[in-house]
Amino acid sequence: MGRKRKEYLESVLFTIPAVFLVCVVFYIPFLMGIYYSLTKWNGIAKEPVFIGLENYKTLISQSSGFITSLGFTIRYTILFMILANVLALAVAVALSKKFRGVSVIRSMFFIPYIMSMTIVGFIWKFIFSQGFAALYEKTSLEFLNWSWLGSGKLAFYSVVFVGVWQSLGFYIVLYIAGLQAVPTDVLEAATIDGAGNFKKFFMVTLPLLKPSMITCIFMSLTNSLKVFDIILALTKGGPGDATYSATMDIYREAFQRNNYGTGSAKAIVFFVIVLMITQLVMKLMNREEKAGVNK
Amino acid sequence: MKKKLLATLLCAALTVSMLTGCGGGNAGGEDDPAPAQEQSQPETDEETPADTAQDATGDEEEVELYMFISGPEYADAINELLAEYKNVKPNVTVNYETTQNDYPTMLKAKLNAGECPDIFASTAGKEIETYKEYSYDLTGQPVQEALLPAIQASMADASGNGCYAFHYVGDQYGMIFNQDCLDAAGVTSLPKTLDELEECCEKLQAAGIQPFACGWAEWWVFKQSLIPFLTESVDNYATFVSDMESGADSLNNYEMMKDDMFRFVDIVKANCESKPLESDLASMQAQLATGKAAMGLGMGPWAEGSLLAINPDMNINYGGYPVGDDPAQCHIAVGATQALRVNKDSEHLQEVLDFINWWFTSDFGREWLSVTVGGVPSIDTNGVYTNKMVQISMENVAENGAGNVGTTYSSDAFWQSFGESFQSYVEGSASKEDTIAKIEKDWKEIDGAQ
Repeated sequence: MGRKRKEYLESVLFTIPAVFLVCVVFYIPFLMGIYYSLTKWNGIAKEPVFIGLENYKTLISQSSGFITSLGFTIRYTILFMILANVLALAVAVALSKKFRGVSVIRSMFFIPYIMSMTIVGFIWKFIFSQGFAALYEKTSLEFLNWSWLGSGKLAFYSVVFVGVWQSLGFYIVLYIAGLQAVPTDVLEAATIDGAGNFKKFFMVTLPLLKPSMITCIFMSLTNSLKVFDIILALTKGGPGDATYSATMDIYREAFQRNNYGTGSAKAIVFFVIVLMITQLVMKLMNREEKAGVNK
Repeated sequence: MKKKLLATLLCAALTVSMLTGCGGGNAGGEDDPAPAQEQSQPETDEETPADTAQDATGDEEEVELYMFISGPEYADAINELLAEYKNVKPNVTVNYETTQNDYPTMLKAKLNAGECPDIFASTAGKEIETYKEYSYDLTGQPVQEALLPAIQASMADASGNGCYAFHYVGDQYGMIFNQDCLDAAGVTSLPKTLDELEECCEKLQAAGIQPFACGWAEWWVFKQSLIPFLTESVDNYATFVSDMESGADSLNNYEMMKDDMFRFVDIVKANCESKPLESDLASMQAQLATGKAAMGLGMGPWAEGSLLAINPDMNINYGGYPVGDDPAQCHIAVGATQALRVNKDSEHLQEVLDFINWWFTSDFGREWLSVTVGGVPSIDTNGVYTNKMVQISMENVAENGAGNVGTTYSSDAFWQSFGESFQSYVEGSASKEDTIAKIEKDWKEIDGAQ
């Protein structure tokens, strides 16, 4: 048996379990979703009725809820990406210095990330209502008395804040890893050339951090587009429909309104939108990276 | 060669473990940890069944029935019932599981996974048709004959035939008062018109008591407290709903809907806690039971247990919602919203039917339905009620007549959207006109399209 053939066989054999699993939990349900989006089905009846593109037509003609929730998701994504990356980078720079207790502080930032989103949501729901109320009685600071989850505008910021708070640790870790990979000799050379701390950071460290940044930006993009559990636990989409994200709108359509067909159609449309956005961002970032290499 | 063999073996082991993992997942579905899963304890055989065909003996085949229903507030009572049934039929174990959150979604997941529970729940009225394919027609069974006629009627399918569900506790919509607060403020009678309600709020405010705990973070509070403004406006509520679904009627045609309903919401908003949209059921009940607030919305006799658990000395009073100027229209609404169904393809259909028939015809079962469960009874109990609110409501209904529960003519999906529309109104991001337009649109799009 040739060595190449053997290697080939090995790689096929080893990937079979993974391929099988991905097919079962992802590709097959995805194809089924496409089929259901072409049917009228309430999720309960035993036989879905095939109706062609009708669901997509309804989607365009009447579903204002979907457009609003897409708008919410985009606003959430933009704010989340900016805050998560800027804050994580700032904290990472501080925590990549060596001082006493640095590892304790690092793990403190990471703990929220290993907690379940739902639990984080409930904890913050408690803080926003009872916690803030108790603090207000003691301090009389006006912002503690605002209805953080009960008014549409504030609820948006509450949701973004909790989302960022929860996942910050993850991005910090990625940035710290990137910062530690920045070669010290380059920084020393910059110092000898007379660059100050500020200049060193923006002219040397930041460009060398590009690979970490690309990963972080991409992860924060996909994570925030998929936002669901934290909203469900914090506001259930409320007050009114102020914090319905696209994924929650799909859930509401399919499971609460019993329109599994329309829900699937929304999911497919959302998938296409996410695919386009991520491809676009990926292209842009690849170009950046290449440009960086050629410089 | 050895290496290749090892690779193949490893690969096979991985695949097999994964497959068994999947298989285990399916088989273990029933054991999923759920918010409150309880199992009746096996006990010894003491009594013979009152109505079941066969006698229970220890040698009979072990049977497990799976009951997945909503309404965790009745979990204690149901566990008592199941413990007794274990005495009657030691070979039958009823696995009882209940949840408050998102029951319909969990049920749908189970149905689509091919694990239809032997006994499951929906709402009565409009939803009877939705789950008809899975439901056993109880016509002719002793349980059907035991149900009050009005309840039997609400369990029929869209064409008015059959009896596809039963229920063990009725529903009521009314306003709960903390009588001690009213006494302290010098309010002598429950408000029956909106003017009286305003007056009552002023007196309470003057006495330093917060008039309302609103619970407006919950969408269903709007459904259960505003429905009287809809049902009391029209003579035939069923026709009104179908006209709304087809877009032939409008809320603007009825003064009580377009003005009084919003006036009521405004009165509550002006007289409730400072963050109304963060007030949920638990906080509403706590404020009401401890006397921080005098009136609570959207609840019925089912809440009595929770209120008394917070404050056993709470002096509860109960009345209809003031819907306008006419005190004669202030009714407590009485009817059936819960519907329990029997899976018609159940492996142990006969055992399930035996259980339900025992539940509704045995002495223990009838006592349970009229006393233990402490709600609005679904069978004729000859006027015996233990629940204070049920007692008050029965007297109230005898005197003033009952209102129509009405909510079951529309789906919960519609009501959720209805609640969300009013949340936006309360928040101030939608005007009264926007709210009316949104409700009319939802009625057409959510329920009209089904």
